[in-house]
Amino acid sequence: MDNLPLTEPVLLILMSLAGQPRHGYSILKDVERMSDGRVVLSTGTLYGALRRLLDDDWIERFEKRESSRGRQAYRLTVLGRRSLQQEVDRMKHLARLAALRVATRES
Amino acid sequence: MLTIYQRLLGLYPETHRQQFGEEMMAVFEDVHADVRDKGALARAVFCVREIAGLLNGAIGEQMRAFIGSDPGFSFGTRRFTMRNGFRFPKSTAVLMTIILLGVILAIRKGEAIAYCPPHVDPQLPPIHAVPSDLLSGIPFFFMFFYAAGLIGWAILFALRRSGVHRLAEMSGERK
Repeated sequence: MDNLPLTEPVLLILMSLAGQPRHGYSILKDVERMSDGRVVLSTGTLYGALRRLLDDDWIERFEKRESSRGRQAYRLTVLGRRSLQQEVDRMKHLARLAALRVATRES
Repeated sequence: MLTIYQRLLGLYPETHRQQFGEEMMAVFEDVHADVRDKGALARAVFCVREIAGLLNGAIGEQMRAFIGSDPGFSFGTRRFTMRNGFRFPKSTAVLMTIILLGVILAIRKGEAIAYCPPHVDPQLPPIHAVPSDLLSGIPFFFMFFYAAGLIGWAILFALRRSGVHRLAEMSGERK
């Protein structure tokens, strides 16, 4: 749990890779779509985050055969998926607690 | 823009460029193609975002290559503001060291110029110290901006929009 909470861009990158493996451009577009255009990553920021996630073994790189330009794709590792699940659980707990507190205050 | 991007990629450490350089370039070309048909504002925002992202990334990666671990101010996987434990301010220390080295180098260079024997090269006249206008200008600038700030605050106070008034309004709303 030491790595939590995640920053929003990193959370969105992990969420993007949770569904399917993707290459850089696809991650950028998916992050933008998921955040309704609020989070638009630059390539420098994206590859900085990907490098750190690779170093932490949260994601791994592989060559995507069907890609016309032979681009590298990224997918979540078991550790990355577990970390994402932990973050989701943490957020669920916080949301539940916040809803409870707001309801108590209103009553 | 592609040339600028390629040049800025050169600021990254060699290992990072070997690992991601080609891929970053390919992704940039795709994103660049997306905004090509959009308005001038969208293109400008894209350029600023990419250049800022690259510069920030390059500084972070260079610092990482230099100190061996990720610097605090680079794009992290963690939210550093949420940490409750004490962390040594690495980036501040590194930045201060760089500034100190710069100052030392400037002093050494100045000393070297001052001690330079004037008749080594007979074509060059002796170097004389020139009084700098910069130092005398600093107090003037300081006074000017201080006065401007004071006037601004006085206007806000008169309009009842100063921080004191806003705080009073907020506490009034809470009550």
